[in-house]
Amino acid sequence: MSDIVITYLSAAAAVLAALAGAFGILLAVADRFLRVPADPRREKIEEALPGANCGSCGFPGCAAYAEALAKGEAAASLCTPGGPAAAKRIADIMGLEVTGFVPKVAVVRCQGGGGVTGARFRYVGELDCRAAAATQYGQAACPYGCLGLGTCVRSCPFDAMILDAETGLPRVLEERCMACGTCAAVCPRNIIEILPKQQYVHVLCCNQDPARRVRQTCKVGCIACRACEKACPVEGKAIHVEGNLAVIDPEKCTGCGKCARACPVSAIGDFRTLRREAQKRKGEKQEAAGQKVA
Amino acid sequence: MSLLKELTDKPIKHNPVFVLVLGLCPTLAVTTSVKNGVAMAAAATAVLVCANILISLIRRFIPNQIRIACYIVVIAGFVTMVEIAMKAIAPEAINMALGIFIPLIVVNCIILGRAEAFASKHGPLASLMDGLGIGVGFLLALVAISLVREVLGAGTLWGYRLTPVAVGHTTVIPQYVPMTVLGMAPGAFIVIGLLFGLFYWAGNRRRDAARLVAVPAVPQVARDFPKPKKTPAQRPSEPRPSEPRP
Amino acid sequence: MEVGYLELAVGSILISNVVLAKFLGLCPFFGVSRRTSDAVGMGLAVIFVMSIASAATALIYRHLLLPTNLEHTNLLGVLGLPVPEGGYVLILKTISFILVIAGLVQFVEMVLKKSAPALYRALGIYLPLITTNCAVMGMALLNTEAWRDPANGLPVHLATVNGFCGGVGFLLAMLLMSGIRQRLAERRVPKALQGLPIAFISAGLMALAFMGFTKLFGIAV
Repeated sequence: MSDIVITYLSAAAAVLAALAGAFGILLAVADRFLRVPADPRREKIEEALPGANCGSCGFPGCAAYAEALAKGEAAASLCTPGGPAAAKRIADIMGLEVTGFVPKVAVVRCQGGGGVTGARFRYVGELDCRAAAATQYGQAACPYGCLGLGTCVRSCPFDAMILDAETGLPRVLEERCMACGTCAAVCPRNIIEILPKQQYVHVLCCNQDPARRVRQTCKVGCIACRACEKACPVEGKAIHVEGNLAVIDPEKCTGCGKCARACPVSAIGDFRTLRREAQKRKGEKQEAAGQKVA
Repeated sequence: MSLLKELTDKPIKHNPVFVLVLGLCPTLAVTTSVKNGVAMAAAATAVLVCANILISLIRRFIPNQIRIACYIVVIAGFVTMVEIAMKAIAPEAINMALGIFIPLIVVNCIILGRAEAFASKHGPLASLMDGLGIGVGFLLALVAISLVREVLGAGTLWGYRLTPVAVGHTTVIPQYVPMTVLGMAPGAFIVIGLLFGLFYWAGNRRRDAARLVAVPAVPQVARDFPKPKKTPAQRPSEPRPSEPRP
Repeated sequence: MEVGYLELAVGSILISNVVLAKFLGLCPFFGVSRRTSDAVGMGLAVIFVMSIASAATALIYRHLLLPTNLEHTNLLGVLGLPVPEGGYVLILKTISFILVIAGLVQFVEMVLKKSAPALYRALGIYLPLITTNCAVMGMALLNTEAWRDPANGLPVHLATVNGFCGGVGFLLAMLLMSGIRQRLAERRVPKALQGLPIAFISAGLMALAFMGFTKLFGIAV
């Protein structure tokens, strides 16, 4: 390269270095004198959160939750999508002990979708369960059960629900469910509940009508026959019939599943085998992706 | 995943314009003709690939606080090189059309975004493949938009006027008056809006098909159960008060 | 060679609107324009940064990069360093501009955080968004290729005014866009067009409307 080009290039490099140096010094000096004390933990916490902004912690978004955590105004285990991993990271940052994190999942407590119970009238409106429920108390024959129009399915931010075509019932894909509570909030009949995964046995019916009426509407509705009560081996009975509906007491229930087998209308569901298989599938998938099984 | 698979996956799944929604400014400004679009994509890809490789090589030596500034310096260096190269190699018409958008590659969110998201965390070969994949995606997006804008808006394709062509009795290219507005600012926005809509429509169909096995539009009227003897009292659905919701 | 303030104002705000005609700053334009309060904050931040950055970059361009001529002198030449014929424009323009813009915005952000925390909360969060964004850099580059004087670009005071007006044009476009988007949110839009597509189409119609300002007051940009 000719001399002139070298001098020009060096001059250019020198100019650039001078500019950069000037700004560097300016910023360093400014940082020294203009520093505002900020809580560095807030940013670290925000990084530790999954960033899904689902609101299941009760705060409007991950940033708000991080802010509350940094101020010490919130428990560290509220983030369900982040799971125990996020809770542990938060606890590490905040220097806390994490207790009481319970993995949860959404459970649809109804087996009588539109395809099973039938309809009282032909509903031609907005394909939204909330709209249908507001229209003459809903088109499904059972006034407590699933309307089958799939609002919960569409509302799931993690694509963890599928609407079954034959029964009209939503099905929760437990591997993907993050227990954020969106589907439960959206259901106008409140038949979806977010319950701990450790609870394997659930009464899959919300119908509080007497047996005669239930038999007219739904083949698999609870008729309050108390067969489950009689079958329960637990001292003091973990399952009671209250108001024409069987209710399981989660503190006493051991998940043995005897009530599910005893129920003459199969209104009680035992999720144990299903969950074990789902966990196995999830473990295999995670191993395939090269991570440790949670 | 194998490196070659990344190259074929990225252009569609991680398309910088339609999926990541980055780099909108040059996309709209430069797609008045396919030639300009291809030139822009070539320049951006060159910068992206080189910057990715260099940043990936020096990623361990960059302190975390000033990483964005370092990326910008590296990218600016490569953009200057590409700028000078284009002034020398590219035809004058293309340089006039691309104008300030060549130096603006330095603040193009695509390149900075990929440096931050990929090159700073992977090795040089993977970063090279990533750069190529994203670059091809950018090229596809630019060509798609500029094809519409040039053929319908200027009546030319790659600079060649589209004369009406008929094969036998069928008209392959009809006689038409081009819509000049497509070559101007409003046309750019409207064309990209409609193409986005097309992209979303295709994605929605795929996603809905996976999520909803079938939404029963009108549930079947009950057939299995005996008709009730007298009209049962219709009870309104009440919320169950027991469990507090999370 | 004389460009007046009115011509700059009308030119940068209406005829050659930064967003709708020059395609600069689109990413924050579509990202932040959902709510009017965000839009106003963003617009004000852009005005602020664009003015300061235009001033600084014009200073650097005219007095460091361009070779000395009748209109201005090159400081390097004054210092005795060699200045090539075309000046240092070709090799240093891009990198020095982005360096200056990034450093300046960072400094301004620090000053703002310390001295006016309320203002910082209102528009400080948009500042990092604007730095690495084509709006400010694009305006700085446009100032150097300004209308009647592509060889020298705008002088520093005119460049500052141009930057300010460019920011005002951005604010105007943002306000209009956020109003439209808030109305759109309550309407039934076809599913595939919801969100970005309909926003783009609305911007296109706005750009079409702004094209009506061409040759306003006889100003030719």
